[in-house]
Amino acid sequence: MSAAIRAERLRKVYPGSPPVAALKSASLEIADNEFFTLLGPSGCGKTTLLRLVAGFESITGGTLHLFGEDIAHLPPEKRPVNTVFQHYSLFPHMTILDNVAFGLRRLGKPRQEAAGKAQEMLDLVQLRDYGARLPNQLSGGQQQRVALARALAPRPRVLLLDEPLSALDLKLRQSMRLELKRLQRETGITFVFVTHDQDEALAMSDRIAVMSAGEIQQIATPGEIYEYPANRFVAEFIGDANFYQARVEQVRDNGATYLTPFGTRLAGPLVEGAEPGRSVTVFVRPEKVTLTAAATEGNLPGRVRDVIYLGDTTDYRITLEQGGDITVRAENHKDGRPLANPGDDVFVELDPSALRVLKE
Amino acid sequence: MKQATRDIRILPGFNWVTLAFFLYLYLPLIILVVFSFNASRSATVWEGFSVDWYFKAFANDDIRRAAANSLIIATVSMVASTCIATMAALALARNRRIRRKPVFSGLIMLPLMMPEIVTAVATLTFFAAIGLSLGLGNIIIAHTVFCIPFAYLPIRARLQGMDESLETAAQDLYAGRWDTLRLITLPLLAPGILSGAMLAFIISIDDFIITLMVAEAGSTTLPIYIYSLVRLGITPEINAVSTVLLIISILFVGLSYRIGKKR
Ligand SMILES: Nc1ncnc2c1ncn2[C@@H]1O[C@H](COP(=O)(O)OP(=O)(O)O)[C@@H](O)[C@H]1O
Ligand SMILES: [Mg+2]
Repeated sequence: MSAAIRAERLRKVYPGSPPVAALKSASLEIADNEFFTLLGPSGCGKTTLLRLVAGFESITGGTLHLFGEDIAHLPPEKRPVNTVFQHYSLFPHMTILDNVAFGLRRLGKPRQEAAGKAQEMLDLVQLRDYGARLPNQLSGGQQQRVALARALAPRPRVLLLDEPLSALDLKLRQSMRLELKRLQRETGITFVFVTHDQDEALAMSDRIAVMSAGEIQQIATPGEIYEYPANRFVAEFIGDANFYQARVEQVRDNGATYLTPFGTRLAGPLVEGAEPGRSVTVFVRPEKVTLTAAATEGNLPGRVRDVIYLGDTTDYRITLEQGGDITVRAENHKDGRPLANPGDDVFVELDPSALRVLKE
Repeated sequence: MKQATRDIRILPGFNWVTLAFFLYLYLPLIILVVFSFNASRSATVWEGFSVDWYFKAFANDDIRRAAANSLIIATVSMVASTCIATMAALALARNRRIRRKPVFSGLIMLPLMMPEIVTAVATLTFFAAIGLSLGLGNIIIAHTVFCIPFAYLPIRARLQGMDESLETAAQDLYAGRWDTLRLITLPLLAPGILSGAMLAFIISIDDFIITLMVAEAGSTTLPIYIYSLVRLGITPEINAVSTVLLIISILFVGLSYRIGKKR
């Protein structure tokens, strides 16, 4: 079975003065049935990549295959791919049912059959009784689900979703996450989902491609992305992190030992160009560090500078006695009190296994 | 003591001037309409109500011929200019390869500002130069040309307010370019197109200068016929014909406005 989508050194430059290289050289392979997410800050080229797959933009360079077939020359209406647009783009002059039946009708299905299938899709997105309404008579969340039903109705082999949840409020967004995941499982269609929201990406995806400035930084499962980010951009974009410089102490065949600024040793993967004495970046997630009052051997003394209340947890910015800062994220006491207050002298417990070396 | 609370934005005298303006604008029209129902031949002295002049006007062969000419010219010019204006608006808005779109758009609308007499003379000279002699055809061609900018305006306005991603969505859902035009673009553009068509119709039906220049014998239109009657003295018959023209214009402008407003 060939990949649902295979892009090799895909490149897109928008003409103009100056031309904009929106996608520099993207290579990726998306498996059939996968829930694949493109994650990155606004303007990094996510929409551009989707539009290339859908056929709305022409390819500047590289190749693009859909289930083994080169689709570079196919117009959008010939690609078995449908899109859920960021602003839904429902046809305002058609009823909801006609909107959903549109693709089926264009594929030559008779009116009756198309209407029946469209109604099934409306049932699937829980809008059974809305078929006769016009799009502007629906709420944002409902329009969103119509857009989904409309794109799914022709049973595309790949569904592209361009920040479909970004216009919804938080609660709706969270329930739509589950709904999208359910739809993907039930239909067995490959989903390519675009978002700039890391929580969304982590919660829904089988795999994530993190993008920045027209380039793919890393492609991996949510767990791998979070635990073993490929570089500083990924580590910073997904979750929070404390960064430090460590020094290479010893290079071995399949790894290296690093000397951390906390006086501990860390065995880690081999970083490119590593030689003893060279400096590398290491990081630790704030929730992997603990705050304690005990001056046990190895704990780092420091003073609380800021306390940032986050509801379920609290962030403590601590100035370390040895120099430098560290942010610790910890749950509050059961009664809601924070663990420490600004100005308190505390100790930070930093398990060496929580530190990670960045490969680049 | 009573405190005078004056709105400083209300300026003395402005209301009266405005009122006088309205009177000046509409009183002659009202008089024209009223005297079309006069029982006597006089267009200035009221002698009782009658609709005879309307029957007389409709019975007059010359008037009927002129009215028929006007209707044919206006209808054909309306259809032709609206089609061309729609195509031009779509071409200018959608073709990414056309640079300097504002220049083209300006060129389409420039005739709106050109002195009509200049256009008239130019058209006449041009037709004479190429030896064009198609009777009503000459007038239709001339009218189509100067109606295009009027039809173009509301269509372009509508197109600018239209979400381009709707056409993209249609394509994504397997509609080819003609299906997209037929099912998405034109239906969404329809209010602008209708509005433009009606404007074109009334601009054509009341045109005088250009028609006078290019009209050949036998292709007299209503405005020109009315003008020739007036030179022989004003009768309520003219009032009656003018009133009918006025009503048609008001109807079309009103409709055009209503449709243009619709979402
Ligand atoms: N049609 C276009 N013409 C010129 N530049 C564009 C066009 N579309 C997008 N861009 C530029 O390409 C870059 C990537 O845009 P986009 O793919 O929309 O990013 P994202 O979806 O990740 O926010 C941006 O710098 C944007 O300004
Ligand atoms: Mg985008």
